[in-house]
Amino acid sequence: MACEHCQASSPDQARQALIRRTDAIIDRIGTGREVAIPLLQAIQEEFSWLPSDALERVYQRTEIDRAQMISVATFYTQFRMIPYGEHIIRVCCGTACHVKGADIVYDAFRRELGIAPDSITTADQRYSIEKIPCLGCCALAPAVQIDNRIFGHVQPGRVDQVLAEFEQQTAQQQEASQTALQQPPQGEVRLGMENCCQASGTAQVREAVEQACRELGIRVDIKPVSCVGACQQVPLIDVAMPDGSITRYPKIRPEEVREILLHHFKPASKLRQLRNKVYQQAGWLHTDQGWDNQLYMEEQQRTRSINNFLEGQMRISTEGYGLMNPLDIDEYVHRGGFEVLRKVLEMKSEDIIEEIVGSGLRGRGGGGFPTGRKWQLVAGQADTQRYVICNGDEGDPGAFMDRILLESYPLRVIEGLIIAACAVGAEEGILYIRAEYPQAVIRVRRALEMCREKGYWGEHILGSRHCVRLRLFEGAGAFVCGEETALIASIEGQRGFPRLRPPYPAQQGLWGHPTLINNVETLSQVPYILRHGAESYARTGTPGSKGTKVFALAGKVRHGGLIEVPMGTTLRQIVEQIGGGIEKGEKLKAVQTGGPSGGCIPAELCDTPVDFDALNQMGAIMGSGGLVVLSQSDCMVDVARYFLNFISGESCGKCTFCRVGARRMLDILERLTSGQGTLEDLDRLEELALGIRQAALCGLGKTAPNPVLSTLRHFRHEYLEHVQGICQTGSCKQMVQLSVTDDCIGCTKCARCCPADAIPFEPYRKHRIDTDKCTLCGLCIEECDFNAIHYENKRQSPDHRN
Amino acid sequence: MPSIMKISVNHQIIEISGQRTLLEELRQAGLEIPSLCSDGENMHHASCMVCMVKDCQSGQMIPSCATRPREGMEIETDSEEIRRLRRISLELLLSDHRADCEAPCTLVCPQGIPVDRVVYLYDLGLKAQAKALVGGKDCSQCTKMPCQKACRRGSVDKSVRIRDIIGELIHDTSLPQGDHPAESCDKTLFNSRIGRFTEPEKERMKQQYSQPSRCLHCACQGRDKCRLRQLASQAGIKASRYGLSSQLPFKQEIHVNGRLWFEPAKCIRCGQCVHRTNNGFTFLGRGFGMQVIIPEQNKANIDEQIAACCPTGALYLKTEESC
Repeated sequence: MACEHCQASSPDQARQALIRRTDAIIDRIGTGREVAIPLLQAIQEEFSWLPSDALERVYQRTEIDRAQMISVATFYTQFRMIPYGEHIIRVCCGTACHVKGADIVYDAFRRELGIAPDSITTADQRYSIEKIPCLGCCALAPAVQIDNRIFGHVQPGRVDQVLAEFEQQTAQQQEASQTALQQPPQGEVRLGMENCCQASGTAQVREAVEQACRELGIRVDIKPVSCVGACQQVPLIDVAMPDGSITRYPKIRPEEVREILLHHFKPASKLRQLRNKVYQQAGWLHTDQGWDNQLYMEEQQRTRSINNFLEGQMRISTEGYGLMNPLDIDEYVHRGGFEVLRKVLEMKSEDIIEEIVGSGLRGRGGGGFPTGRKWQLVAGQADTQRYVICNGDEGDPGAFMDRILLESYPLRVIEGLIIAACAVGAEEGILYIRAEYPQAVIRVRRALEMCREKGYWGEHILGSRHCVRLRLFEGAGAFVCGEETALIASIEGQRGFPRLRPPYPAQQGLWGHPTLINNVETLSQVPYILRHGAESYARTGTPGSKGTKVFALAGKVRHGGLIEVPMGTTLRQIVEQIGGGIEKGEKLKAVQTGGPSGGCIPAELCDTPVDFDALNQMGAIMGSGGLVVLSQSDCMVDVARYFLNFISGESCGKCTFCRVGARRMLDILERLTSGQGTLEDLDRLEELALGIRQAALCGLGKTAPNPVLSTLRHFRHEYLEHVQGICQTGSCKQMVQLSVTDDCIGCTKCARCCPADAIPFEPYRKHRIDTDKCTLCGLCIEECDFNAIHYENKRQSPDHRN
Repeated sequence: MPSIMKISVNHQIIEISGQRTLLEELRQAGLEIPSLCSDGENMHHASCMVCMVKDCQSGQMIPSCATRPREGMEIETDSEEIRRLRRISLELLLSDHRADCEAPCTLVCPQGIPVDRVVYLYDLGLKAQAKALVGGKDCSQCTKMPCQKACRRGSVDKSVRIRDIIGELIHDTSLPQGDHPAESCDKTLFNSRIGRFTEPEKERMKQQYSQPSRCLHCACQGRDKCRLRQLASQAGIKASRYGLSSQLPFKQEIHVNGRLWFEPAKCIRCGQCVHRTNNGFTFLGRGFGMQVIIPEQNKANIDEQIAACCPTGALYLKTEESC
């Protein structure tokens, strides 16, 4: 592992080597109490965990003492106190993944790898496994990350294939050969290279493109571009010709690439052309793969769903989607980027703020506080040492807007932040990005360097009087740090404990100075407003909420992805038109908005135009913009339990109502979902939920009961059913078992696929399920061609023996 | 900042200095506000939320210990709603508080003998003092022996043989005749619960308590100073409606230094001891599982006096009198 350097002859020498490496890290990072988190991150990066000898060295050499270190290191989930295996499997347990069976996937990996019940690492130290709150790849649910590679749509019965693929890729990784060709490019092939696109095969498609180009002697530019958002349609490539025409190919397979390239470009030599023709024809005759090739579909048929998906959207934060290279600063400038910054540098602070106030922009992080008012508040403080912070600690399970914005449009976010700093008179800006988004961190870091080189930040920006220094701070894994005061505490090197507001961060924030904290998306709207004017911006949206909103659409919807729509679009439009309706022909039951702080909006209310106030009235919140679509097969009590489980793990632990209250609500919900709940439990649950809403210390605590309150309000009948021991959907595993109906013909398909050997191999006889062995993974239901396996409630089933 | 500030409290305008936290100002004005974790002028450590008052302008409950008064504030300090929420917060804390305030043997003794204290002194070898506490009452003929039936040790293996111990003391003529007025416990006060012992816990109990009497000494040694108990009694709480599902180990006693002991199962995680020591106590983890711990290497940095800041019996001084 990482410790190969310290395989010295004696343990003492190894210790010395470890201390030398630790010293180097301390020299690089610093010794103040505030560097606790970056220091721990650097140590973990070096050793892959936090060895106690390294920590002892930190106590000796820095101002960080043992009490602070323990308190910080155990607060954030990123830090590991025990060594992990060589590769880490992270099973995403975000909302979208949860409703698609993440728990079963987790169990399947453990079973496949034979990990002992009390361990998280395989005996040979090759793999460790953990659940993580959300990878932000909700459209690929259930998603799994192995090291830095993401695998989407992982089925519990196929985890062996995922592992095999990972092993194969790891072995192949070294052979990255490149042949430089001299001719000018004949055209451009654009592909999305976000974390999630790579996971669904774009990486392989890119390899195929490179390989085909080499073999055919075609010279094209392969350009990684910003996210189109149509996650269900990937791998997606655009072929752009020098004449400006663009042809779009969604959902292509690596083996189709060659043909598509041949369709658009001529191979280098006549000989090659001929040879290719022959090979092509031979292949053509021997296989039928040509017939369903994307190339031979009608243009309309090929791109219909994607056009529907893109129709009705409006691009402000995601302007330039699918064609801009995220890290090409010249292209960004060419398309009008940083133009408005030059203007802003000349403007008076009040005038900039006036524009933002006039635009009616409201904070996109959740609460919807008017952004202009916040800027005014900070600018109006007497204290002239001020800070601006870009909040990119997107921790809500089911949300990935900020990740995509940071990965695809880092320059726009940075421009917004610089403008904000100039407007409020701050000289230091911090981009706070959660460490679970490695790609975003890499790109923003690179983008920051490029902007620095061009003089867009630093001393006297572009020769003006403004000086702004920017830096990136990696969040270490705590949902609560999305809360402003907790975020500040973590930058100061403390546990992410929120504080009572007021005083607001705008008055006393980072190090006690006025601090402006805006969400990633809010900042990405800022350049547009100043370029086009407040009035033009305010024309879009509803009276109370202006502009556009980026949503992460996921769950049981057919075409999930990242979308940007004008405020005031209805949820039904989003689900039906853009999302293409519910998958597998099921019916819409509810839309969960706002993650753990939000609520579930039932189908009958989905015609309400979406804005901050309308959602609040329905008992949900806009939140940062995760939309998880739930169908008839989702149990609302289970969804509530899922969120409370999340909250009770993510609660910072400071105040009683959130720390103990959330846990007690979870206790009650666990009783309900295991069929042990009573009517009194429902009353107690509601009283507790209302109490927490009123009396918890911070915003996150106060909104924590929303998933329960909104489901109690709109789906009380489901709670009552659970009290009677019935879960209609089969989601509450403790209340149901699988049973085989008479439709079974004994084809043994289920017996062969069952990972727990719970179905005896008995050909031509109606299959039986051994309920003691059965893990309720549901794989057999999917495998069965005769629809003969169902969930049934234990309490109802006549042959229930217990 | 003006030296006199006017705020409305329970629909009456009062004048305050405006220099201190709302909690301090309200107390100064003669109002009784319960609280567990308030730390004088050190704001931003609000944890227990028992000191909450209602901000009538926003409709929110705010912890008064972490609030700076503002001119024109409208506050309510006592209403059914506030009492209900304070009660919820106490019940939530109690649902994660594994302790016996009083020992069950003492609670049930029909003669009012402070049984637990007698046995405690007996174990220390202070038989004369122990005999004095029995106060001349003779229970060696008692046939029902409710103390032994209630004894916690009974659910580990076998009850402590209380009657024999007391009988031994009474009939030991070498000891002076006890004339100490025996004061028993106040049965009207709240009594906490401990729930069931787990199997590993039973094993630990057997090893931890092997002194002559085998008594677990389950009565809380910090009960006299315990504000949690006082407030629970005032609120008329008999038992938490949220049950008890604590993950904390019962009676895990950690010696800090000198006479100072720490029992995590009684801790309400308010962090007073963390905030008031320098590189001493610290938090571990987060969420419901968050604990307060004292790292071995930090024990030397702790002063005995810290026990006074603990609102429960989690931090206490072990003395003969405190038994």
